[in-house]
Amino acid sequence: MESQGEKKRFGRLSQWFLRKQESSVILVLILYCVIVTIVNPVFISANNVVNILRSTGFTLIVVVGMTLVLITAGLDLSVGSVFAMGSIVCGICCTAGISVWLSMLIGTGVGLLFGMTIGFTIVKTGIPPLMITLGMQYIGRGMVSAITKGVPVYPLPDGFTSLEKISLFGIIPIIVPVSILIAVAGHIVLSRTTFGRSVYAIGGNQEAAKISGINIDRTKMIVYSLTSALAAFSGIMMASRLGSAEPSTGTGFEMKVICACIIGGTSSFGGTGTVLGAALGAVFMEVITNSLTLMKISVYWQNLFFGVILIAAVLLDQYKRALMMRQSVKVKE
Amino acid sequence: MQNPILTVSHITKRFTGTTALDNVSLELYPQEILAVMGENGAGKSTLMKILSGIYPYGSYDGEIKIQDTLCRFKSPAYSEAAGIAMIYQELNLELDLTVAENILLGRYPKTKMGLINWEQVYQDAGAALERLQVKIDVHAPVRSLSPSMQQLVSIARALYCNPKILILDEPTSVLTEKETETLMQILHGLQKQNIACIYISHKLDEVFKLCDRMVILRDGKWISEYSKSQGYQSTRIIEDMIGRRLDVMYPKTKKKIGEEIMRIEHFCVQHPFAYGKHIIEDVSFSVRKGEILGLAGLVGAGRSELVSAIYGLTDSIGGTLYFDGKKITHPTPERSIRMGMGFLSEDRKKNGFVWTMDIEQNMTLAILKEISQGGFINQSREDKISDEYFDRLRIKAPDKKTLITSLSGGNQQKVIIAKWLMTKLKLLILDEPTRGIDVGTKAEIYKLINDLAAQGIAVIMISSELPELIAMCDRFIVLGKGVVQAELSKKDADEVSIMRAASCT
Ligand SMILES: Nc1ncnc2c1ncn2[C@@H]1O[C@H](COP(=O)(O)OP(=O)(O)OP(=O)(O)O)[C@@H](O)[C@H]1O
Ligand SMILES: [Mg+2]
Repeated sequence: MESQGEKKRFGRLSQWFLRKQESSVILVLILYCVIVTIVNPVFISANNVVNILRSTGFTLIVVVGMTLVLITAGLDLSVGSVFAMGSIVCGICCTAGISVWLSMLIGTGVGLLFGMTIGFTIVKTGIPPLMITLGMQYIGRGMVSAITKGVPVYPLPDGFTSLEKISLFGIIPIIVPVSILIAVAGHIVLSRTTFGRSVYAIGGNQEAAKISGINIDRTKMIVYSLTSALAAFSGIMMASRLGSAEPSTGTGFEMKVICACIIGGTSSFGGTGTVLGAALGAVFMEVITNSLTLMKISVYWQNLFFGVILIAAVLLDQYKRALMMRQSVKVKE
Repeated sequence: MQNPILTVSHITKRFTGTTALDNVSLELYPQEILAVMGENGAGKSTLMKILSGIYPYGSYDGEIKIQDTLCRFKSPAYSEAAGIAMIYQELNLELDLTVAENILLGRYPKTKMGLINWEQVYQDAGAALERLQVKIDVHAPVRSLSPSMQQLVSIARALYCNPKILILDEPTSVLTEKETETLMQILHGLQKQNIACIYISHKLDEVFKLCDRMVILRDGKWISEYSKSQGYQSTRIIEDMIGRRLDVMYPKTKKKIGEEIMRIEHFCVQHPFAYGKHIIEDVSFSVRKGEILGLAGLVGAGRSELVSAIYGLTDSIGGTLYFDGKKITHPTPERSIRMGMGFLSEDRKKNGFVWTMDIEQNMTLAILKEISQGGFINQSREDKISDEYFDRLRIKAPDKKTLITSLSGGNQQKVIIAKWLMTKLKLLILDEPTRGIDVGTKAEIYKLINDLAAQGIAVIMISSELPELIAMCDRFIVLGKGVVQAELSKKDADEVSIMRAASCT
């Protein structure tokens, strides 16, 4: 017979490990970083770390919104298109001579409006978010192409492009503190406010949330609007970095964002997840991209990596669910 | 005496923070109906889940023997193969599949080509239902059946693989009295077919009639055992179950019935399944402060549909609602709560609680506004109020941060009741408030309801347990065929008069 005490200790440890998915992401992340550093010490050079953080920033801003969406048991596939829309609208406005701040506001505002439309359609029609946001992804991209006829908005005024070059202590690009600020705000909103509680409740059991007086429609509207606004804002920052607003920018971006959230422990079934976890997921995604290049592994392998990690994360999530569901067992096959 | 068909010895099962079963042993003899009794959280369901393989061998200490063979179930499939069939406390049917598909789910007969032999499926399903002597259309989707019909379908499903041992975990909590009667006959019939049953229920009278022997658990421990031949003594049994004396079941409180708080006129509500039909045609009534109004009627009379339309969870087709003297045009749950309504729904699992949340978060879900400032939840206020109710309702859990899914059914119900007690109530609608609740807790809940009424809060109560309804309510509205069949005052109401009105004769 195996020792009972040993087994119990292991059980408790693994439970703790599973419950705190943030910590498991951190562990894996650290482990991975150590390996990469051994293979190529350039990885932890200040320059490279800044690089990773900078590219994470753009994803992280959208990840905050997407986490909320996923927790409500929703999905938003349109963030890549909105990302492009934000950068184009803002680019056009600046080149037309509108002040930089106002242009950014307009770009974000257009994203917000787009998100409100998404939210409204989801709430009023009851069609699954997957379908609606897939449609909106095409609509958004279509609008961008129609406006630009496929031609990038270029050159952008210096006042705008210099924005992304602002840096903290002369080394940390502005996008890093900005995205961290947004993430911290998102974390606080989700964990401390009644709105955050509503978001969790809706994802956990929408009908029970409704009976308890939670305004489902309004909460969902806010969640989708916020996500689109953040996506547009992130697109604007990207345009500022590139010095040009590209109509094709952000293609496939939604997958990266969703992937980051899921890896960070946000459940694809709704009801659970944290911004902290999702943020770690975003860092993780970027670290992998970066490290593969450093380790001279062809970028063609990248997507394969992401795919495997994503499925592993979902499996873990399902297992967690099964633990929780034990009480209300559903027996099949 | 015969040799036992099932022997359970020294079972101990621990969850983090609780010991659900502590060294429990029992035997089941052939052709016997054995009752396992105990309060909510006593460990009954846990024991059954061990027997059915949901908690696999190795996750508990102790052993299970069927006849003389040691059983090590790795999953429910193993226990099924060993001849144990189980009907779970929570219905676990696939609502969108047909009756036949549900009965044979996972055991579909195949044709030679390896495809599902549908003809056979419907035939077998028909035969399985035949055995129970019930008539249900095997082609009907399960969603369209009443909860009791659904229960019968799960029994048919359990019997399909010819078990030697049938476990029923609170099968009658969703059944009406008449259906319970039918079920008992069915079980007696099975007894003759050489099937032994383990039967769990909180309804004492039912157990007294049906079961040959009873084992009582408390706090996961074996407490006592009684057999029918000795005669059952309910005071002793209740004492064993709850560990103290139960003074009064229906405590009386002094109260004054005040002015009218809510009135509906000519309410009309859509049928939930049959499109274009109305389950409630034209219903008007009022309820007054401090009054407990009982809504009676047969299953399918539309009691639940009516109250959820009043609360604003579903839309009514016609009719007007007055609350506190004001006409309310479009009630929504949000508005209803703000006005002072609370609504305990019939189906706890479906819409009673949020199962990704812990006890505390479930409790405070309806008072988020009250415990927050500027949208931020005031943690200390939340702690204070949830602590208070956690203790007051004596919820059995390691602490209030426990996930609600790991609670026993009755304790989940207490959490939901706590949620409504926290709000500023003027009218509380209770749809089957004591479903699946043990005697001791029932008495506590009755006291809570009476206390609410004494504070001037109006209560509308639905219950399929007539004795409970009659003892609790001040006035009765009997629904049938979409209209009010009778309105009875306390002194005119008894089981006969209510049943007569409900069956529209
Ligand atoms: N998955 C779980 N995780 C942690 N604790 C659990 C779990 N399942 C059950 N428990 C605990 O074990 C105890 C026994 O629960 P069980 O469901 O067996 O009670 P029960 O006798 O069936 O009650 P009821 O009459 O309310 O159905 C309870 O205290 C419950 O909180
Ligand atoms: Mg139980």
